[in-house]
Amino acid sequence: MTFGISTYVAYVAVSSAFTVWVGRTIYKNGRVFLIDVFHGNENLADSVNHLLVCGFYLISFGYISLALKLGYTIFDAQEAVEALSLKVGWVLLVLGLMHFFNLFLFTHLRGRKERRPNEPPVGPDAFTSVQQEA
Amino acid sequence: MHAMTVLYDPDCGLCRRAHDWLAEQTKLIELIFIPCASKEARKRFPQLNHDLTKRDLTVVADNGAVYYGPKAWLMVLWALTRYREWAYRLAKPELLPTTRRVVSLISQHRYQIGRVAGFSK
Repeated sequence: MTFGISTYVAYVAVSSAFTVWVGRTIYKNGRVFLIDVFHGNENLADSVNHLLVCGFYLISFGYISLALKLGYTIFDAQEAVEALSLKVGWVLLVLGLMHFFNLFLFTHLRGRKERRPNEPPVGPDAFTSVQQEA
Repeated sequence: MHAMTVLYDPDCGLCRRAHDWLAEQTKLIELIFIPCASKEARKRFPQLNHDLTKRDLTVVADNGAVYYGPKAWLMVLWALTRYREWAYRLAKPELLPTTRRVVSLISQHRYQIGRVAGFSK
């Protein structure tokens, strides 16, 4: 195996491992949030959770796949390590952004739930007695 | 809450125009319009400070809750089917100060705005 090919193999292995780890973290911990959002409807929460994680994997693996190409030839181990670190670094940053995006989604969904319907948008300034019409 | 009484300024062209517009909107809560500081208003709310209602729009809910100025505007928006979401949006902590400023500005200059826009009698 040339240095280039081994870099690619290592890149795919490390990136996939991280993606799966983040995906599982989101899946496991997002469930609690979603059950709360959907008022304890576990089936719906599980379904939405699964769909969200599915999107996360698609985007992450899509990025990993697109970013695979090095564009130059690697001649020694040092270059291989540097190239690998650069690629994996980008993957981690993208995963991090995706992770925060997911967190944002969860909190956004939760925030929507917290407002009780039919509650006035502002509190009153005072109270007065109301004379019922005779 | 099923109904809210809106105490409006009958001498202001802009307010009458707003009243006409409100009358056409579908509502989630009934709006009753009574001129501020009128006999009818005093009869209905004997303990309310009616001089204060002359200064700015006032809304009184059927449970006796009183809303002055910008809050009254938000409550009116909230009563409308199409604008309830907007009332919540404008009442968010990030937007409320701006809402207050804009509403106060319009309210203070309501006679001038009404005159310029040709809403006067």
